[in-house]
Amino acid sequence: MTRRSRAWRVAAVGLGASIALAGCSGGSGAGSAGGNSSSGSASGPTTIKLVAAEYSKDHTKAFWDKFATDYKAKTGNTLQVQIVSWDDIDQQSSTMVQNNNPPDILNLNAYASYAKDNLLYSSDDVLSASVKSDLLPAFVKSGSYQGKMYGMPDLSSARAMFYNKTLFTKAGIAAPPKTWAEFEADAKKITALGGGDIGYGLPLGPEEAQGEFSIWLFNNGGDWKTDGKWTINSPQNVETLTFLKSLATQKLTQNNPGKTNRQDAFDLFASGKVGMVVGFSPLAGTLDKAGKVDYGVAPMPTKADGGTPQTFGVTDYLMAFKKPGNQAAVKAFYDLYYQPDQVNTFIKAEGFLPVTTTGIAAFASDPKLKTYLDTLPNAHLTPTDDPTWDKVKLAVQQNLGTAMTGDPKAVLDKLQQSAENGG
Amino acid sequence: MTGATGKPAAPVGARPRGRRRATVRGRGAISPLAALVWLAPALLLIVGVVLWPAVELVRASRSRYSITGLRKGPAGWDNFRNVLANDSLGTVLTNTVIWVIAVVALTIAISLGVAQFLTKDFWGRRFVRWAVIVPWAASLVITARLFTLIYSYYYGSINAVLLDLHLITTPIDFLGSDKLIMPSMIAVGVFVSIPFTAYVFVAGLGAIPTEVHEAARIDGGSPWQIWRHITLPLLRPAILVASVMNMIYVFNSFPIVYTLNESNPGFSHDTTITFMYKLAFKSAEKDVGQSAAAGLFNVVIILVAVLVYLRVTRWRDQEEQ
Amino acid sequence: MSAPAISWRRSRPWALPVVGLAVGLAFLWPYLVMLLDAFRPSEDVVQTPPSLLPRVWKWSTFGEVLGDERFLAWLKTSLLVSVASTAIVVLVAVPAAYATARFRFPGRMAFLFVVLVTQMFSPTSLVVGIYREFFSLNLVNTYLALILTNAAFNLAFAIWILHGFFSSIPVELEEAAELDGCGRFATLRRVMLPLTLPGLVTATVFTFIAAWNEYVVALTLMLDDTKKPLTVGINSYVTGYEQNWDQLFGASIIAIVPVVILFAVIERHLVGGLTAGSVK
Repeated sequence: MTRRSRAWRVAAVGLGASIALAGCSGGSGAGSAGGNSSSGSASGPTTIKLVAAEYSKDHTKAFWDKFATDYKAKTGNTLQVQIVSWDDIDQQSSTMVQNNNPPDILNLNAYASYAKDNLLYSSDDVLSASVKSDLLPAFVKSGSYQGKMYGMPDLSSARAMFYNKTLFTKAGIAAPPKTWAEFEADAKKITALGGGDIGYGLPLGPEEAQGEFSIWLFNNGGDWKTDGKWTINSPQNVETLTFLKSLATQKLTQNNPGKTNRQDAFDLFASGKVGMVVGFSPLAGTLDKAGKVDYGVAPMPTKADGGTPQTFGVTDYLMAFKKPGNQAAVKAFYDLYYQPDQVNTFIKAEGFLPVTTTGIAAFASDPKLKTYLDTLPNAHLTPTDDPTWDKVKLAVQQNLGTAMTGDPKAVLDKLQQSAENGG
Repeated sequence: MTGATGKPAAPVGARPRGRRRATVRGRGAISPLAALVWLAPALLLIVGVVLWPAVELVRASRSRYSITGLRKGPAGWDNFRNVLANDSLGTVLTNTVIWVIAVVALTIAISLGVAQFLTKDFWGRRFVRWAVIVPWAASLVITARLFTLIYSYYYGSINAVLLDLHLITTPIDFLGSDKLIMPSMIAVGVFVSIPFTAYVFVAGLGAIPTEVHEAARIDGGSPWQIWRHITLPLLRPAILVASVMNMIYVFNSFPIVYTLNESNPGFSHDTTITFMYKLAFKSAEKDVGQSAAAGLFNVVIILVAVLVYLRVTRWRDQEEQ
Repeated sequence: MSAPAISWRRSRPWALPVVGLAVGLAFLWPYLVMLLDAFRPSEDVVQTPPSLLPRVWKWSTFGEVLGDERFLAWLKTSLLVSVASTAIVVLVAVPAAYATARFRFPGRMAFLFVVLVTQMFSPTSLVVGIYREFFSLNLVNTYLALILTNAAFNLAFAIWILHGFFSSIPVELEEAAELDGCGRFATLRRVMLPLTLPGLVTATVFTFIAAWNEYVVALTLMLDDTKKPLTVGINSYVTGYEQNWDQLFGASIIAIVPVVILFAVIERHLVGGLTAGSVK
């Protein structure tokens, strides 16, 4: 046998082996028993599928894998876990829904459009009364579409003003600003320090422009919606956006704020170059780990003198898709997830804030979280209970940054118009 | 092969000239059924994995979808109309033309030089060959992320070096400046396309027997003349394959354009492929149906482009010789 | 190899290696930056002002990555899928390319055209259809689905390149072989394939790399974490909330190694050269 023909034989055998190995690894799909649709009757063991977003490499998968084990031990049902990165989860969930093959439980940052499409269970179907009563009312409200709750919160975060104590001392600033006027003055002082120091890190890039803008406009008495009507281009909001633009024009911010994403602003703050930035607990975690920046956390400055600082809160959701035969298993999932030792373990590991009243008590012992926990029950959220917001949010992300070099009123007018047209 | 007639031997793809033209091409005709035996596995794979989803794509383009991805019913031609009516379409198309032409042209030109160099014999050639393969070996997604860091205004290596060398006083905003983002993208596109193209040319060059060059040198040609009049024409089939494949891959290239534009709102620097993706998931439309329509437009565009290119380079004539 | 002006080369033997070094560096420099980033803590990567060399050296990155069982699972998947896809492509493309190069039959040009057109569909636009197809075949989350997809997407290039090589081999060589008593298949194996070795090597390297770096389809089809290939898996290192740039880049460097090894092993066949005079 020539060397060449021997090589071919080896290749053929190798190929056959790979294919056999590949085929035998157990596929899932339309016909498989343990596949994407739940199987089994209501009384027998069921398999349900969770698609969870990956908050962090070390904790997300670890938590859900352990949860699946606990879930199986407690209920006899199997929980299949698929972890998807936040960058890809929109695409992944859309693909699944397009194929009429959604998971049983989906972890996403929106839910109202799915509720509108009549795809979800409401809390009446899958949440026991004791669990529901433990959830913070602000989150129940923001998770409810047309009076019924569909978006169960998995964790929450709240923003606050992070400031660099070293830069403040250097610039002669005694305390964090309480009003916008003080804020602007402080930013000027820090920028005047020179050496590349930046007064305020302003991220209005497409990643989360709506978040940054939200926290400012809430503190000027504005809102995205008021009394059920869209008020995106209200005079206060225009004033807020113009204020932010003036920060950029006066060069009190980092380069190109309309094209800076949140993480870039955080990285600059972590480098010790930025005087103030709006941050949340994961940033605190990063800063503590690096231990380089001496920072403080303060409430947001308000436009008016003596105003009450508004906290911008965000939750992500765990929503449940209606599929034949999975209701009992889904209910058991939520029952287990909202047990304090489960939900709070998850939240603590990922470095976020609780979503239950018992959670607030459990986290109260951590002094670093005091600023957040006090204001969390009154946190101001974006109108995630309105399906139109799902589209408006995207429009905001894609367009708000252009106001930095354009006309703030025109940008907001356009957004208002698209919101009124249903997104 | 050359000894008998004194004419150069036939290299990759070209048909022998002169006496050969009159003789039968190939091994003759066979029945379609026999042909099927040779083609069946390829056909099966292609039909199965590419054509079936393509049919799905067509179906999706003619359907109406909710923002969640739920199919709501037929849409006729609405999706196509909406894509064509999109304000940003003109910008996106212009960007795409610039992107493809610039990257492919630069890649081919530079790769010819690199390939020629890689076929020279010198100490350390092996390591240079391995080095050239690395941009191709690395995942495009990672390379794009890497360049996002390298180009960064605040912590990028390029700005760091330029500042250290005092060539500039303030950093250059490669990714944020409307003027610089396209050249920055093109640079990365060329960078990752050269290795593959260079090696296609290396294979092509290797198929040219040394006698060809010996003969040409004996005939008294300068290195440049030899390269221009002998090597280059013999490389024509390789250049053809490389340009067509590059046109298609660069046109469909997603990670570079998408990742480098992560901080840029709107569609102002997108190509048709990232436009299609954003229509589905990141834009205010968030419409899978429109995205599918855009996907079909993409196929038509690149198909037309390639056909025009092949026509212009008279591929068919060459094949039928 | 073509080497004009030999006397010039002899008088300055260091010239080409120096140019070679420059060329090598031109292709390697971003990855050297990446390598340095793997040796510094994650915060140092995004620190302002930047410094080319790490301010703090972190040597444990590669150990951490190689000790991570998630990473090793991703690596295994990538190897399995890439090797199998490449093997299939070569086995399938060779007969198809040979037939279209050598025989005449109705539908020959149509086949080549279809092959070219399929290459023009972007996987990003097809991914939903692919998911639907494999879902109905019960093959979501299997290696087989990913292998077949990668094979199908790379078939066009392999067929085209091999088609070109087969076309260029003079018919007389085959006829001579057949006169010597080889059947069609044996001719293919013993005469044609060695002569098209550069094309085969190109197709092999190309398919392997394409499969190794494929992202969108793997992302959609592979649900289990252990079945994700490297491209999808290493996304986990940097999320919106926790960034491990050092590990991301360390893992990426490791991911480059198998490809370079494959290439190093077979690259000398890339320039096989036609055996002139085999018919004389």
